[in-house]
Amino acid sequence: MKLPQLPTLVLAFGLASLVVLSGCSRSDSPAAGDGATAKSVAKRVAVIISTLNNPWFVVLAETARDRARELGYEATIFDSQNDPTKESTHFDNVISSGYGAVLFNCTDAKGSVANVRRAKAAGVPVFCMDREIEASDAAVSQILSDNYSGTVALGRYFVKTVGETGTYVELLGLVADTNTWARSKGFHSVVDRYPGLKMVAQQSAEFDRSKALEALDTILQAQPNIDAVFCGNDAMAMGAYQALLAARKADKVRVFGFDGADEVVRSVADGKIAATVMQYPKVMARTAAENADRYLKGVRDFPQRMPVAVELVTRENVAKFGNYGRKE
Amino acid sequence: MFAIAAVALWCFPLFHFRPLVAPATGAGVADVSSAADKFWNEQLPAARAADVAVVLAALQKNPQTAIKTYACTVGLGAAYFFVSGEGRVVARERNAVRLAVGTGADAPVVELQTGPVFGNTVRDGTGLLDVNRVSSLQDFNALAAELNQRVEARILPALRERAQPGTRVSFTGCAEAVEPVPGQPLLTIVPTRAEVR
Repeated sequence: MKLPQLPTLVLAFGLASLVVLSGCSRSDSPAAGDGATAKSVAKRVAVIISTLNNPWFVVLAETARDRARELGYEATIFDSQNDPTKESTHFDNVISSGYGAVLFNCTDAKGSVANVRRAKAAGVPVFCMDREIEASDAAVSQILSDNYSGTVALGRYFVKTVGETGTYVELLGLVADTNTWARSKGFHSVVDRYPGLKMVAQQSAEFDRSKALEALDTILQAQPNIDAVFCGNDAMAMGAYQALLAARKADKVRVFGFDGADEVVRSVADGKIAATVMQYPKVMARTAAENADRYLKGVRDFPQRMPVAVELVTRENVAKFGNYGRKE
Repeated sequence: MFAIAAVALWCFPLFHFRPLVAPATGAGVADVSSAADKFWNEQLPAARAADVAVVLAALQKNPQTAIKTYACTVGLGAAYFFVSGEGRVVARERNAVRLAVGTGADAPVVELQTGPVFGNTVRDGTGLLDVNRVSSLQDFNALAAELNQRVEARILPALRERAQPGTRVSFTGCAEAVEPVPGQPLLTIVPTRAEVR
């Protein structure tokens, strides 16, 4: 299997640059005599995150917060708990409290647009991370995983390992999230070309491990002889694996995830999970924080959407991955 | 009685599985289709491709430099070559033909895909299509699927039929810019033009 090496090179270069850029300024207080830093430390950056009930998003949030702090800002994480109402309240608080910028991971691609517009109207720039909002004129920039090509690669590996005939279940993420559908469509753009592969059930488990466990447990009552489960994220993949383990089918049914969460990367190495797709939450979070910093220093020329390459992680190449990225 | 019930349930199941449907996005299908037509008919024929022989020589010498010099990058991480050239068919596989580019036993080999086309290679290969010119990533991905369909419908059937070992193929196409794997073709190209001689 061919492995994309260039994304690694580019990402490695980006990360190295970030290390160089940040290496001299890691401090919670501004350097003496540095006027620009002294000015920026007066600013506060909010990290509003869809949920912290998933390690992947914890990494995204904490990396964004830490990078903002490295750049001289006070940074605070707000957990929306996958609740658009809580998210809206966070925006109200952030706007009224004088935050300088928001690093944002939305709960709802459409519903969250109003929050971003409200912040923009109040002069608070918003920088989206990982999840897209369905507007091109609200956020300053959107740093997004290339979910579609990730699941195209995963779909090809699925066909290679499951075969061109068989039955499978798909567990979707949040139906209001564009990542959910980008992943599903990428996967189906490949797998649907093989008429012998039949999807016997498709259900949303909202990116949640417990819900995935419950959903697959129920599905297995009606469909006990499936060959594979495609999950829209790694938390659901682990929930699916637990359901299969309880049903004594874990060694017969292949589970595929998406995210590159540490637990799943280890499970790929152990042969429990067939494959996942490594996103780069740290790259996205750092880039968003740096964009915010540049914006607050006067830069205005940002591409609205910047896709970030992802990589297929299989048992063959899993040794190269860990800690939410490539091992260097 | 059970048999009748079983047959009835088989024919008229109590539950009917219907896949969930993605919500509509900004652009309609017609917009994506017309954008694909415009790219295919106007931009793609006019796009300037690198000489595949030059790119292959560069890849053999130093892959990183070759990628930096000849590939276009999309966003953060992905990169693609857009190449043109000619080669002799040395092998046919289920979903590809292999071409030797140049003469001699050690001529570099590339692969032209002849099977199903997936992903963003054609969309992103030339660097001419910008994600920020469409309303959402979903529409951009739909554009990739539209272009893949055009390759499959308009380019691949004749290539599959006529590219026999020993024939020569003139081609233009897109390839992911990845470091070569020993023993494998240097490039896997999705052809956007192919003529078999």
